[in-house]
Amino acid sequence: MDFPILSALIALPVAGGLGVLLVRRDELALPLSITSSLVTLGGAVWLLFEFESGEAGFQFVEKSTWHEPWGVGWHLGVDGISLLLVVLTAFLFPIALLASTSVTHRVRQYMASMLFLQAGITGVFLALDLLVFFIFWEAMLVPMYFIIGIWGDERRIHAAVKFFLYTAFGSALMFAGILSLGFLVSDQLGGPTFDFVELLGADLTRTAQFWLFGAFGLSFAIKVPIFPFHTWLPDAHVEAPTAGSVILAGVLLKLGAYGLLRFNLTLFPEASVDLVPVLAVLAVIGILYGAIVAIVQTDIKRLVAYSSVSHLGFVVLGVFALTTQGLQGGVIQMVNHGLTTGLLFLLVGMIYERRHTREISEFGGLASVMPLFAGAFLFTAFASIGLPGLNGFVGEFFVLIGSYLSLPGYAVAAAFGVVLAAVYLLWAYQRMFTGEITVEANRGLGDLNLREKVIIVPMAVLIVFLGVYPKPALDIIEPSVDAVLERIEEKTDYVVPEFGSTTDIAVEVGE
Amino acid sequence: MNLDFLAVAPTVAIVAAVVLLLMVDVTFKVGHRWWGFAAALGFIGATTASVWQWVEHRGADGELFYSGMLSVDGFSSFAGMVIFPVAGLGVMAGWQLVRGVGKRGAEFVALAMVAASGAHLMAASADLVLLFIALEVFSISLYVLAGFSRKGDGADEAALKYFLLGALASAVFLYGVALVFAATGTTSMYGAQSFLDATLILRPGVLLAGIALLLVGLSFKVSAAPFHVWAPDVYQGAPGGVTGFLAAGAKIAGFAALARVLVVPLGGYIDDWAPAIAVISAMSVVIGTLFAIAQTDLKRMLAYSSVAHAGFIMTALVAGPAGVADMWFYVATYSLQVVGAFAIASVVSGALTGKSPLSDFTGLAIRSPMLAAAMALFMLAMAGIPLTAGFVGKAAVFRAAIDADYLWLVILGLVAAVGGLFFYLRVIVLMYMQPSAEGVPAPRVPLGAGVAVSVTALVTVVVGFVPWPLLDWVRAAIPL
Repeated sequence: MDFPILSALIALPVAGGLGVLLVRRDELALPLSITSSLVTLGGAVWLLFEFESGEAGFQFVEKSTWHEPWGVGWHLGVDGISLLLVVLTAFLFPIALLASTSVTHRVRQYMASMLFLQAGITGVFLALDLLVFFIFWEAMLVPMYFIIGIWGDERRIHAAVKFFLYTAFGSALMFAGILSLGFLVSDQLGGPTFDFVELLGADLTRTAQFWLFGAFGLSFAIKVPIFPFHTWLPDAHVEAPTAGSVILAGVLLKLGAYGLLRFNLTLFPEASVDLVPVLAVLAVIGILYGAIVAIVQTDIKRLVAYSSVSHLGFVVLGVFALTTQGLQGGVIQMVNHGLTTGLLFLLVGMIYERRHTREISEFGGLASVMPLFAGAFLFTAFASIGLPGLNGFVGEFFVLIGSYLSLPGYAVAAAFGVVLAAVYLLWAYQRMFTGEITVEANRGLGDLNLREKVIIVPMAVLIVFLGVYPKPALDIIEPSVDAVLERIEEKTDYVVPEFGSTTDIAVEVGE
Repeated sequence: MNLDFLAVAPTVAIVAAVVLLLMVDVTFKVGHRWWGFAAALGFIGATTASVWQWVEHRGADGELFYSGMLSVDGFSSFAGMVIFPVAGLGVMAGWQLVRGVGKRGAEFVALAMVAASGAHLMAASADLVLLFIALEVFSISLYVLAGFSRKGDGADEAALKYFLLGALASAVFLYGVALVFAATGTTSMYGAQSFLDATLILRPGVLLAGIALLLVGLSFKVSAAPFHVWAPDVYQGAPGGVTGFLAAGAKIAGFAALARVLVVPLGGYIDDWAPAIAVISAMSVVIGTLFAIAQTDLKRMLAYSSVAHAGFIMTALVAGPAGVADMWFYVATYSLQVVGAFAIASVVSGALTGKSPLSDFTGLAIRSPMLAAAMALFMLAMAGIPLTAGFVGKAAVFRAAIDADYLWLVILGLVAAVGGLFFYLRVIVLMYMQPSAEGVPAPRVPLGAGVAVSVTALVTVVVGFVPWPLLDWVRAAIPL
């Protein structure tokens, strides 16, 4: 048997976390945890290069049965949809840990929580057994709850409990869904099973699909978050410590969109096709609403938090466009959002460490004292807006093309989200960085130090790389999303619109 | 008459240890070390005997002994394997109380052992009359234990309340036994089973009334709503050192009796009692959760949470025999969490006092990190968070209920479980996210409580990660 690399990706952070707890030296906590996360990153990069691009199925599969009567077992695998998200997770954690030097109390518990969180998130992306998936999904809440609740800002307890309860409520329904799904198919598959690949072989009635889509979908919608289930997000993001926000925005939110794509579209295709209008409407509302609310924020961290609602709306729109380009765009947008919003939160954290405020009005003219920082912020803002040549453009472009093929009206409305993104980010930049220094306290601020540069540079490199040459990433994603669409076409009478086949485009070209 | 020493070995071990304990204590006045030694002897002996029974009898048809009074099968032996260790841990956790009441400590230990033996007999009795006697042996010991500290702050009230309501419930139960006897002509559970299987009762009114009364009586013992009103006062009033034993013991014994009564004699009437069980379960889950949210005292909060847990456990019983294994899994793991959580409460708030205000736990993570970590673990386990035994228990009972087409009950239970997070998380918030009050010393952890907390926490985590062996075992713990 091959080396179980996927299990190792989950086990390594756990081992690191236990190590940090057992070594009773606070000053060793940071080096130890960063080492652990870098080793994990090494494993993830190895996985990236060993992965057979162009294959649709799961690779590096590990499978063994745990408990026959329940039909539950350890089943891991990675495909084009999850691979980039796994790598993104492994990439963001060392950076987030490096950005955690301002954590000064209970350092070991903090680092251990972060590493356990990493293991949980990786597990969610890799698990192919629904019960194991759920275990990771729910277990991951606990470290995040502690991270927000212990090391967050003033209203941290409120935010932590709200975060936990919202997510747990969603998961409760999903758990009922998973259990009933496992038993619903037991007649067809000869015994209850929670194995995702086996479940794909079962036929569900239309009614069952709708109920189960609802049970799974609500949980994922809360996580994404899809409007109107987003109200936990600003609180959690704002109150979490910098690294917590980075991980929340960077990878945690992706779990919801990933779940919709991985489970809802494939297991409940009929329901998915029928519910496209509902989700598309909610996605577009999310895009526009998130952006408009972001414009009026006075707290820069809250602004970035609401921008996430808007960006994740693009992801959901892409996924439910049910076209190759839309799905590809959705997946790549998840990665892009993880990088750009992650970096924005890091930058906000850096300025917060200097000034201990995040009110936009407390800043002004910072570019003259912190030119490098201002440059980095502008760069990230452009990436987030979707300037061609940077990564944000690729994702939004694909999502808009993909959704224009199947949902032209929604695509047009969503395009305004891009404009609004320019408004809230550039206006914030203008108020914070341009002009004269308005607040005396800002005059003595130092520019980026070495540690901060080490944090920013790798992310900036990836942002440019994915913006200029996204082909390898798109090639990894395409076969897997095509397989999802083929399955939908096979199970329903939905036909995926081909690129260039819609009549109105043909008319335009003809004229 | 089928006489077999192994069938009564657990009971004999306990009774012998109790007699030895009291005789030696009266004669030589050797003090608490001897009590501990005798208790260990009794509990270890009884556990060993239960394991032996398990090895001999699990998976096979139950054998009846002593004129059909006792049944030895996977069910009764597994019950012994749960009851005696849990009771031992409970007594260990309350050792501060034993030492704190002076010479009366010997009585405490003896009563706890007798109660454990009664609890085991409740699971093993094959005759409704013996079941009633076992129930009384168990209950009367607990009435005394609940008021044991004799301190003014509610212990007397708790004991009296427990006694009066408990006596009423016993009477109701006994009436149920009488009505079942009237309907079937026998008090033997297996006799009633074969009678009911072979006979079509055209007017089952008497039998159904009997079933209802049995249900009410046993629901009282397991503190299921709406028969739960005693639980909060008793849990809060009883001295800290005994509450864990009391809570865990009542759950194990009550559910063992309930499962056997429902599945063996009344198994053919599942369509009549399953809906009733479902309603009681739903009420317990909802009422327990809602009332727990409003509490400011940890023990009172855990009392209401135990009402909710009684509901969760009953969720498994709607599936009839198929749910018994899942019920056992939940009962076994939950009873350990209860013992652990109350052991911590007795360390933090005192083993002789009744009340345990939540404010005692403020900032505990700073003062005593290990204690806080264990408490957080028990809270998460009771809330049903994965990678703890509590999650597997919930998965097990909900799985059984879904298989029996009680989806509404499962959804209600899951939503209530989320509601439960409100109060479980509050304890964690207090311990971890609030600063410790100035000048409050770290609680000193006595050896017994320390061992009890460590063992229960360890089992909770290990079973959370690797539940498969236990899940396999409980499948053999069905009354046949």
